[in-house]
Amino acid sequence: MTDTLDHDIRNDIEALEALECELEATEQVETAHDRTLRRRTAVHDIEPGADWNDVEHAILTRRSIRKYKGRQVPAHMVRRIIEMGRFSPSQGNCQPWSFIVVRDKAMIAQMEAYCAAVCQGMTAGVDYTNYPEGSEQRAAIQANTQALNRDNLNSFHPVPMTAIKSIANGRFAVFHKAPTVILLLVDKRGVGVPDIDIGCVGTNIVLAAQSLGLGTCWVGFSKLLSSNAALCEQLGIAPPFELSEAICVGYPIGNPTQQTISRQTHEIIWWEGGEKQILY
Amino acid sequence: MTAPRVEKAVVPPDHLPIWDDPHQALYSQVTIELDKCDGCRLCAVVCPANILEMYGPKDNLKVRLKADVSGCMSCNNCLAVCVAQGVFATEPYDFVGVYEQKRIGPFEFPRRF
Ligand SMILES: Cc1cc2nc3c(=O)[nH]c(=O)nc-3n(C[C@H](O)[C@H](O)[C@H](O)COP(=O)(O)O)c2cc1C
Ligand code: SF4
Ligand code: SF4
Repeated sequence: MTDTLDHDIRNDIEALEALECELEATEQVETAHDRTLRRRTAVHDIEPGADWNDVEHAILTRRSIRKYKGRQVPAHMVRRIIEMGRFSPSQGNCQPWSFIVVRDKAMIAQMEAYCAAVCQGMTAGVDYTNYPEGSEQRAAIQANTQALNRDNLNSFHPVPMTAIKSIANGRFAVFHKAPTVILLLVDKRGVGVPDIDIGCVGTNIVLAAQSLGLGTCWVGFSKLLSSNAALCEQLGIAPPFELSEAICVGYPIGNPTQQTISRQTHEIIWWEGGEKQILY
Repeated sequence: MTAPRVEKAVVPPDHLPIWDDPHQALYSQVTIELDKCDGCRLCAVVCPANILEMYGPKDNLKVRLKADVSGCMSCNNCLAVCVAQGVFATEPYDFVGVYEQKRIGPFEFPRRF
């Protein structure tokens, strides 16, 4: 039984490989929908140590851009990168997303002002270092902050707390004064963990943008907007959709994507041939 | 399908960051190698936290951290723009207590396998 199955599969694979060669040989057919894209990468394995291809290059040079030129990004470029987001994988292929593109200066300013105000409130309530040492107020706020920290390990991580402080004192902008902001909405009824699908969409968007010379930055702090019902309504955030993330888009100042940076390596537990290895 | 019950880990107070200790509350350090810096200003321009500034005579400009340095977000954009690689670097994460990073190796530039 297994033998015949294996045999059938082998035949299928041979047939498929022949078909792939044939496909590769055919010229690209021009259609209105780009259904037949020319295969740009070879099907054979690359040599060890081979040069980076275009996708790898985009991944390695992408940086989060937090300073933008004033020039607006042409609308068709924004449509183009969102189109790449549309073709990302999703759990059950249910594509639980929707987009809001904000290119209106006044609207972005309104979003920025609201988020900054929330950050000011947050630092006043949790940053006990603002109060004199030894004071009762400081002790009370410190106890409160520690309790909050213990229950909200992710939100009270030193990284966002440092950023919230900088936003509150006006040194750091939430939307980085970008000319275009894309809000990624998630349909909460999506299969499994729909926010992961939003992560996939956003990844496609930022990589496509990088390949086109645009700068992007994810903005998790955009979530703060969710507590402003009036602004949400005005923007068009309504159930079953929730604001999941935002991505700023614009032309970078300087050229922070010209070189790669170093990054942490992480443990990889590698099981093969009955052996367990630890790689980095 | 019911989610497995997870006991919430109780984090002892001394494992939570203390905001008045900069080492615990801030998460990155900036390293400037002055002899390599040629004063091109690029890093000060791209630094999103605006914590870098130029100083010194016009023909020998160098970059330095502004006096109040909190807010480096370890983005390493400064390193990425500095053409003389390695001139400028951040010593990114060094979290303490409950946020200590685990199962990590050294920092590496992209490796070609
Ligand atoms: C989901 C998500 C949310 C983020 N939110 C913010 C944000 O609110 N503000 C910000 O300046 N950067 C934000 N970032 C960017 C990260 O700080 C950045 O990706 C990280 O520091 C790595 O740097 P790089 O993107 O330049 O490689 C976010 C990134 C992700 C993936
Ligand atoms: S980018 Fe490099 S050379 Fe230019 S000012 Fe900064 S540290 Fe100096
Ligand atoms: S790592 Fe980023 S925030 Fe820190 S000094 Fe460099 S450019 Fe500025």
